[in-house]
This record gives sequence, structure tokens and C-alpha cells, in this order.
Amino acid sequence: MEQRVHPISKALKYVLIVVLAAIFLLPVLFIAFTALKSSSDLLTRPFYMFPEKLQWHNFVQAWEQGRMSMYMKNTALIALVKVPLGILIEALAAFALTRLAFKGSEWLFALFLIGMMVPMQATLVPLNMILNKLGLVDTYPGIILIYLGFGIPFGILILRGFFRTIPKEIDEAALIDGCGVMGKFFKIIIPLSMPAIATLFIFDFMATWNEFLLAQIFITKDSMRTITTGLLAFRGQYSANYPLMNAGVLISVVPVLIVYVAFQKYFVSGLAGSVKG
Amino acid sequence: MKIGVLKPWLFVFPALFIYIAVIFIPTLYTLYLSFFNWNGVAPTKTFVGLSNYTDLLLHDSVFPRAVANNLLWTLGSLTIIMGIGLMLAILLNQKLKGRIVFRGIFYFPYVLSGVIVATIWTWMYNPMQGLFNKALELIGLGSWAQAWLAEPKFALYAVFVAAIWNGVGQPMVLFLAGLQTIPQDPYEAATIDGAKPRQMFWFITVPLLRETFVIVVAITMVSSMKVYDLIYAMTGGGPAESTHVLASWMYIQTFKFANIGTGSAISMFLVLITLVIIIPYVYYTTKKSHL
Repeated sequence: MEQRVHPISKALKYVLIVVLAAIFLLPVLFIAFTALKSSSDLLTRPFYMFPEKLQWHNFVQAWEQGRMSMYMKNTALIALVKVPLGILIEALAAFALTRLAFKGSEWLFALFLIGMMVPMQATLVPLNMILNKLGLVDTYPGIILIYLGFGIPFGILILRGFFRTIPKEIDEAALIDGCGVMGKFFKIIIPLSMPAIATLFIFDFMATWNEFLLAQIFITKDSMRTITTGLLAFRGQYSANYPLMNAGVLISVVPVLIVYVAFQKYFVSGLAGSVKG
Repeated sequence: MKIGVLKPWLFVFPALFIYIAVIFIPTLYTLYLSFFNWNGVAPTKTFVGLSNYTDLLLHDSVFPRAVANNLLWTLGSLTIIMGIGLMLAILLNQKLKGRIVFRGIFYFPYVLSGVIVATIWTWMYNPMQGLFNKALELIGLGSWAQAWLAEPKFALYAVFVAAIWNGVGQPMVLFLAGLQTIPQDPYEAATIDGAKPRQMFWFITVPLLRETFVIVVAITMVSSMKVYDLIYAMTGGGPAESTHVLASWMYIQTFKFANIGTGSAISMFLVLITLVIIIPYVYYTTKKSHL
């Protein structure tokens, strides 16, 4: 949809967009300015002025004292186990839902969909009891299991949506070639679905990276914390040292920014794809 | 033959098992717990029927505030966040130089965690050194400076401003996807008939975006009911419990006050409201995918 518009109104729109974009970037700029100042600089120099001397060591200090590397390593470990495992489990289910027509498959799909809407709050106490019984409180297997559960509805929605677009003739050809059901799944459906799987991988990775509520409840040991709860603890500890706190924030933004810039097209197409079902 | 019937269930089993263990059974058990008084550690629970629910509705001083805040949040999201998202989508759907970059800028805050967004904005609202008060001083409006997050009158709105920054990217991207499916012909026909841009917006764009609206409204309403991270990490529900929403009040009741029954009842209110919003949507989606 490209509408032909008057040049003046086009210019006005452009100005509007640029102004809005500037407003959106302002918080990040303010954070960066603060992070690069010294504490005295912060008090004496106007906020809009460039730091007198760039205090790069704020970042080093935040990284070390804030134990950022530890929190990031913990989060990456959880995400790198959870995400591929989740996708495998979700793909198996989505495969059954789309390729092995069976009684009740529609109901099953609706059941999974409803799970996407259940507020996590409604599960916390019983999950805590279950983890306690299994001795999985404050362990990575425990939190990964819970993350797997909450990822399943969205994963199935995305993968089922994509599997449906793969023509059935391709599967039938595979059957004639003597592929079993497992062969069909691993040799046909999975390779053909790589775009959807890549999208889901990135989405799920970010969701796991950013998750807060479950991490807050089920991981209480500082040495096991993830980046969200770790940042909050760091913030509590250095709430008076603004440059250091902002350096910590910026450090925690960087990995997200890198993933985002590298995979921008997946974010956009993935979100749009998820709703076409 | 037996294996043939079982086969799909073998494929579904891991997902179904984990799903039922993590979401389904715990939710039902929370429903059960909501009929009891329990502190989470005592060996016995006292059955109290519906009194956790009636106490919340009649005697809890924060619950009505939390419900009202959730409703305000929903209303604000459906008007302001969705409105800005739609406006950005329409602007960026035209051939503008650098529109990919702009799209990236507006969407970026959405990929940040609530805790990061909260920390950034808490700093911006800092009474002494924050951007807002400093900027007000700079333009001679220093007397307007506030402790934004510590003032019950402003706190919720201050958090919501952070939510706007955080959230407009999502509806924007969904609307952009919707706009790209709209064909060119109706606009051409309308132009020939002398329609004004505003008329084209209301009589062509909006009706043809109907499906996108259904999705965006459903997602927005559900996420407004679930809002938690930003509020917890910016105000913790304060000042004077003025910014609590159902999710944060549930957390406090359950994990700070150890009122498991009350916390469970709040969760059930959340589940109920969410299901009322979502069942028509799920019905619509599964039905549509049959066609």
C-alpha cells in the first residue's frame, strides 16, 4: 500500500518520525552519558553535556563488582539447554498435530493454546511445592523444566502454523521413498522448517534471557541468578552510585542489542508469522 | 494397528506431559488452595470455602486498587500504545528513507527485559539527577519537578510512560504486517472517486485491518492483565500500595505475607479475567485455521 501524497505532508511526516525516533533514543543516550561520567562530573556538569573525561573504567568495575559475567553465563547456560530442547519437544508435538491426524487433535491444540494465556502467577505455589518434593529448588534442571512448560504453547503455535504450509505431497513422496515416520520428521519436515525454527530459536532465546518472575521465585542463590534478577540485585547494591549502575544497565543491554541487530528480520517476521497461525 | 493409534500420542507425549505438569495441574491446584487458609509451611490447611474471595472483594484495602490499576493499564494500552503503534505502522508503511532503521529504533525497547526498562526509567525519574527534573529545571519549570515514582498521584502514570516506550513496537510490527496484506486497488478506486486521506483511513484501512485488530486487542488485553515486571522493578507496588496490580499484589500476599489462600484467590481472578478475554479469541483462531 503506497499512497501518493503531497510533498509537504510527506516532509511533515518525515519530521514527525525523526522527532519520535529521537525521543525513543533519548533514554539510551542518557544512560550512556551517565555511565561514562564520574560521580563528581555527574553532580557538576549539566546532564546534556558530554562527560568531561570518559570513564570507561565504570564498565570494568560494573562488570566485575556486579558479577555481570557470572549472571550472563548462568542465563546463557539455561537458555542454550532450554531453547533447543524445547524446540525439539514442540516440533514433535506440532508434527503429530499436523501430520498424524488423530482424534482429538483439534482439542489438544486448543488446550495448548489456552496455556499461553494462563498467568504464571496461577502456578507458582504448586510449582514450588513440586520442585521442593523433587529437590529441584535452586537448580538449573528445575528452572529449565518450568521454562520448557511455559514455552510449549507458543512453540507449538508457531511450528504448527509453519508445518501446515509444507505441502502434503512432499511427505507422501517421502513415504514412497521408504522413509518411516521418524525419517519424515527428521529428514523432511525439520530441514524444510529451518526458517520457522530459526525465528522460534531467537524469540525463545530472548524470552528466556529476559524472564524475571520465575527466576525471581525459583532461583534464590546469588551464584545461580540470571541476568534479570542479577541486575536487580546489582541495582539494589549500587543504588547510590549512578554511573556504576548505568554502566551495569548498559552492559546488560549489549548482548540483547547484538542479537537484535544481527537477527532483526527474524524478530519482525517471527512476530508477524506467529499471528497468522 | 495398535502402534498406529498410539503413534501420534508418542510424539505429543513429551510436550503434553511437561505442559500438564507445569501449567495445567498447578493451575488446578492453585484453585484448590484458594479455598483454604494456609501459610505455606504449616502441616494443615484450614478449609474456608469462598471466604478468601469474599474477603478480597469486601475487606482487602489493596485489591480494588489493583483491579482498577489493571483496568486503567488495559485502557491506556488499548488507546495510547495501540494508537501510537498503528500511527507508526502507517507512517513506516510508506516509502521513507531509512524506514528499516526507524522500525528498528521503535521496536528495540520491546526486546529489552522489564527489569532493564525499569532500571533505565527509574534513573530518568530520579528526583535529584534524573532527566525529567533536570530538563524541567533547564526550561525554567523547576517547580514542576517531582519525585515521580514516590508520589501516589503520578507513580502509576510514570510507570505507564515507561511501558509506552517499552511496548509500542509490538502493535507497530503487527499492524505493519497487516498493512502489507492490504491490496492497492481500493485506494486507487477511492482516489478516483475523490476520497480524502482521512476517509480512506476510516473506510478502507481500518476495516481491512480487522483481523489484525482482533489479534492486537487480544494480545494487549492479556498482557495488560499480566503486567508485573515493570511495576515490581519500578515501584514494588508503592508508594502507599498505589501502583499495585493483580500480579504484584498476588506476589506480595503469597511470598511476603505467606497468605497462600489469598494469593491463590487473586491468581484465580487473573485466570478468570484472562480466560474471558481469550476464549473467544482461541475459538476464532482454531476455527479460522480449519478453513
